[in-house]
Amino acid sequence: MTSHWCDFQNTDYILHCGSNSSENHPISSKWLNKAHERGAKWIVVDPRYTRTAELADIYCPIRSGTDIAFYGGMYHYIFENLIEPNLADYLKTGKRCDVYNFEYLLNYTNATYILDPEFEFDPETGLFSGFDPENEVYSNHSWHYETEEEIPWTEEQYPWAYKDNVPKFKKPTFEKPKRSMDLSHPRCVYQQMKKHYSRYDLDTVCSICGMDKDNLELVYKTYCESAAPDKTGMILYALGQTQHTYGAQNTRAMSVMQLLLGNIGIPGGGVNALRGEPNVQGATDMGMMVNEHPAYLKWANTTDRKSLAAWLESQTYSAGYYSNKPKFIVSSLKEWFGKNATLENDFGYDWWPKVPSTVGAQDWTHISTFELMDQGVIKGYFNWGMNPCHSAPNAAHVRRSMANLDWLVVADQVETESAGFWHAPDMNPKEIATEVYFLPCALIYEKPGTILNSGRWLQWRYEAVAPYDEAKTDLWMVDQIFTAVRDLYEAEGGANPEPITKAKWDYYVNGEISFYPVTWALNGYRVKTSTFEGNGGKGFKANGLDESGNIHCQLTPGQWGDGRTVVGAEKKGSLSEGKVDLLPGYADLAADGSTACAMWIYSGYYNNSEYPLNPAEQPVGRRILNDEEHGGLGLNPEWAFSWPSNRRILYNRNASDVNGQPWNEAKKLNRWDAKAKKWEIVDVNDFVATKTEADGTVTQVAPDPKNPNSFFMLWEQRARLESYGMADGPFPEFFEPFESPMDRNILNGSLHNPVAFGMSGASKYDSAKLDAVTGEEHDLKDFPIVATTYSVTEHWQTGGQSRSCPALLEAMPTQFVEMSYELAEELGIQNNDDVKVSSRRASVVVKALVTRRFAPFMVDGKVQHQVGLTHHFGFTHEFGQGDVVNDLTPNVGDPNSFTPEYKAFMVKIEKAHEGGVH
Amino acid sequence: MADKAFLFDTSRCSGCHACQIACKVWNELPSTLELNGNKWSGSHQNPPDVNGTTRLIMLYNEMENPAYTTTGEVSAQLATKRVKWAFGRRACQHCTDAPCSNICPAGAIFVDAETGLVTTDDSKCIGCQYCSAACPFEVPQYDEGTAVGTIQKCTGCVDRVHNGMKPACVSTCQPEALDFGDRDEMIKKAYERLEMLKARGYSDAMVYGEKEMGGLHVIQVLKYGAAAHGAVENPKVSPAVALAGVTKPLTGVVFPLCIVGFGVMTALAAGYKRDTLVYNTDTKDTIILETGEVAKTGTRPADTRGWTDAVFENLPFMAANRKKKGGE
Repeated sequence: MTSHWCDFQNTDYILHCGSNSSENHPISSKWLNKAHERGAKWIVVDPRYTRTAELADIYCPIRSGTDIAFYGGMYHYIFENLIEPNLADYLKTGKRCDVYNFEYLLNYTNATYILDPEFEFDPETGLFSGFDPENEVYSNHSWHYETEEEIPWTEEQYPWAYKDNVPKFKKPTFEKPKRSMDLSHPRCVYQQMKKHYSRYDLDTVCSICGMDKDNLELVYKTYCESAAPDKTGMILYALGQTQHTYGAQNTRAMSVMQLLLGNIGIPGGGVNALRGEPNVQGATDMGMMVNEHPAYLKWANTTDRKSLAAWLESQTYSAGYYSNKPKFIVSSLKEWFGKNATLENDFGYDWWPKVPSTVGAQDWTHISTFELMDQGVIKGYFNWGMNPCHSAPNAAHVRRSMANLDWLVVADQVETESAGFWHAPDMNPKEIATEVYFLPCALIYEKPGTILNSGRWLQWRYEAVAPYDEAKTDLWMVDQIFTAVRDLYEAEGGANPEPITKAKWDYYVNGEISFYPVTWALNGYRVKTSTFEGNGGKGFKANGLDESGNIHCQLTPGQWGDGRTVVGAEKKGSLSEGKVDLLPGYADLAADGSTACAMWIYSGYYNNSEYPLNPAEQPVGRRILNDEEHGGLGLNPEWAFSWPSNRRILYNRNASDVNGQPWNEAKKLNRWDAKAKKWEIVDVNDFVATKTEADGTVTQVAPDPKNPNSFFMLWEQRARLESYGMADGPFPEFFEPFESPMDRNILNGSLHNPVAFGMSGASKYDSAKLDAVTGEEHDLKDFPIVATTYSVTEHWQTGGQSRSCPALLEAMPTQFVEMSYELAEELGIQNNDDVKVSSRRASVVVKALVTRRFAPFMVDGKVQHQVGLTHHFGFTHEFGQGDVVNDLTPNVGDPNSFTPEYKAFMVKIEKAHEGGVH
Repeated sequence: MADKAFLFDTSRCSGCHACQIACKVWNELPSTLELNGNKWSGSHQNPPDVNGTTRLIMLYNEMENPAYTTTGEVSAQLATKRVKWAFGRRACQHCTDAPCSNICPAGAIFVDAETGLVTTDDSKCIGCQYCSAACPFEVPQYDEGTAVGTIQKCTGCVDRVHNGMKPACVSTCQPEALDFGDRDEMIKKAYERLEMLKARGYSDAMVYGEKEMGGLHVIQVLKYGAAAHGAVENPKVSPAVALAGVTKPLTGVVFPLCIVGFGVMTALAAGYKRDTLVYNTDTKDTIILETGEVAKTGTRPADTRGWTDAVFENLPFMAANRKKKGGE
């Protein structure tokens, strides 16, 4: 999230949409309750009245999958009620408006930028300009800005990029966009947007979302009060937004809403994704997806990133902080290939595998992985830390695909549905030849390391107990596998051995694989003055380590959060042989191979070279609560480490006006002291506040009211209300889910997202539509009820851990389908009945929970029922079992993130026969 | 040490169940290990009530919101809510006038002098269940055949409190719906919270526990009023227990009147009916509480009508108790 958990307390307006955080992220309630008691208004928009809704002030039901209509309607409301009535006066007087922050809109967003003349949206077809009907993809050419002036880079500006030992690449040119400072130009982003969302009036939104008009208006009116310059509102979201065939556009839609309301970069604001523990935030940071490189860089591919020069040219921004990307990628290569990475061989770039990226190329994403198994292309599978035979959409299809594998390796703590896929009720073990290896792995408390929360805080955890029985840490297992594979390549050769044989793999202390050198690699270090073997050194040795090779848990000296005062113990954790010269932070990275860093965003989290084996002596190990000394806003800068650079609130330049004065003194993150000519910094600045001259002197950089550059991670340095970066359109546009009760889209001529992932009629993903047994395509009309899925507090995801805890099973013994009294009556179902829920793909038997918390929706003038299912049970585990609910969900997804659409699909429900669930 | 109390604020509670789990874990109370051995209650409230291995449960009471409106102008925010979902906390209330402790013949339930909490010593429990019957909240539970084998009720985690820690349920409560501290301070906080809720439009909100049973050591802020959150309105000490209290000093060791449960009556070969039985040590009669019938005549038949009637009138919970047990 752009904010962090403790920041929730600072908000004035809370909007939950696509999240049930009180239930699924219980800690959120602690901070939200503080805001609420300070007088914040709390709104929950959700298909069902949740535990969070009970805590809130306003509840507004919404049909699953219609969020973009809801947000679009809010933009329309903002234009009509806040901007248009006050704009002329603001432009005339320049006087700050009480109800709307025009300075933010004009200076901190791209509202004033003029778009390409070819930019167009056609409501008749539902298509933006640039659509290629043959390949069902967009060209984003017409979504760019009109350029006023082209300003090439100069050596004076970026001296480091022109040095001889930096890889050669064509330097970027800053294309200064044309602007319309009074927002009058018909092609400026604001006008295009106003036109685009003119269709999203209250009645239309209500008709799509199934909302009550008064209720919706109350929600809009209340939340839009956060547009006042001194107020902030925050959106809290989770999988209810992202798991759609337009999930990334949902996320965009929330960002746009927050930008229009001036709510990003200020305490109590932000776009706040609430993630789960193991560990979406970490997986995202680490780039655990096909197209992503660690630390939000892009992987090598076969088109615009096919060589290092191509990567540098396509990825280096012409302005803003991402002009430094060459430093990040070269330092990453230097960690990847060590001494084998040289300027001459492009630091080993060509050894990286390239993601196929030509139009129509095979993708290797999560959903497609199982299609490829089905086709016999993928024959072996490492399944690490996840349970796709339970959690993947159309999970029965996943199990059938796995049966096609020659071998499967599952590393987990318990026998998951994936490890035991072959004995699922719908499988016949006699017919399955897949050889399954199970690697018992250490639980999180059985190994040291970092845990990363949704607020980007890295916190160190020590090993609490030794791994159980034969369980091993993931790191130990990876080391065993990597070295065995490398030895095989070295002994026998093979196709493309270099990516393995040239890799730097030297994370050892006293000859044992160790977490500490990994942390050094993530933080970054100077190559010459560090003794990694892979960089030509002699490795590392240390005295005083325990049997697991760790320093025993040591507490960081100082005043702890629980009131304890910890006195500094004898310092320990030095190396007895070898040295690592850790970087203070990513500002010290270089593009010439002199620094190595695997994760530029983490740089600075573990930077004390004197005690490199002791997390307590590192920023990541800090546990000091002294918030009152830092503005009392919950920033807690000495509690752990928040990436990047220990910054707690991203884009925090936006907390002050163009002259650097806070919108609200109580929410001050920085202030320009004009008298002293100096920035007063409360949170680590996310903007250029100082400049280091050639002679090393540091000077203060005064705010430039014309160019506040408050979003300096973008080349425009202004946030994008309109974006050319999405696969499926420059503005979020409403489409129905893949499976919808509607036969038309009320807002435009395309029922579905035209470029959604895996929906094409001729595609290879037809299993999303088929009956699992007969292979026939069912008529969607036979499945008249909208369904969604969600979690309960008592269980965690596929239940591997929580179904192993008897007390949790006792508190929530089963999974259920929640339905309204009205629907239950129609179907003749009583509470606690066993019911059969079927989609086009499969059926499951679960318990019925008949509740007032669901009610029928009025959609397009007709009654529409919706239900929701929990999804934590499966066919393995000792204490609690049930059907796999994800057998119902469709394997289609978002074209940007490839996230599956779990959160809106169609089902039918009937009473189950005898002998259903327990 | 001043009297301590729990503070439970229903308006902060998110119904996450963590307190219930923390209680079981800290106190090492078992749950079934049988595959799918837990019967689902049909709601989030699982297990449906406190029992011989569960000292604390969360309550989930779903009601219609009479103020809900779908038409016309929405004048108040709360009118957007079609449901009132009242979360409650069911466990020992730690009465000042604790009938369970007064009636316990074995000294297994007693008031902790330092805190005023009503705690237990399992090693002394003889399983007579007098406490169960005496409690106006029906809290102490005894299940035959469980691994625990003694009366179970919240002990106030005095083991933790004496060592400077908060009770397990409090320490785990992330929304800070539970608090623990000096009773006076908890009451003060409760009234501050009440004021806030009234201002937010919760007109039925109330503070519970300040005066009930001589003052409870669980103070509750009840957003929707007592009944909605499962609190017992006007709890009363049963006259039977009151009588016990009066006569205990006179008779010394033997109680003149005992309320006994099914298990003990089986042992006495008298409990062939699943009823709540009352034994009068003066008359030696065993009486069915609900009907006043004499189940087993003592050596000295006497007029028992007078006092059983009195017991009866004031003990509606006894009927409820019987129904519940009969249904299982």
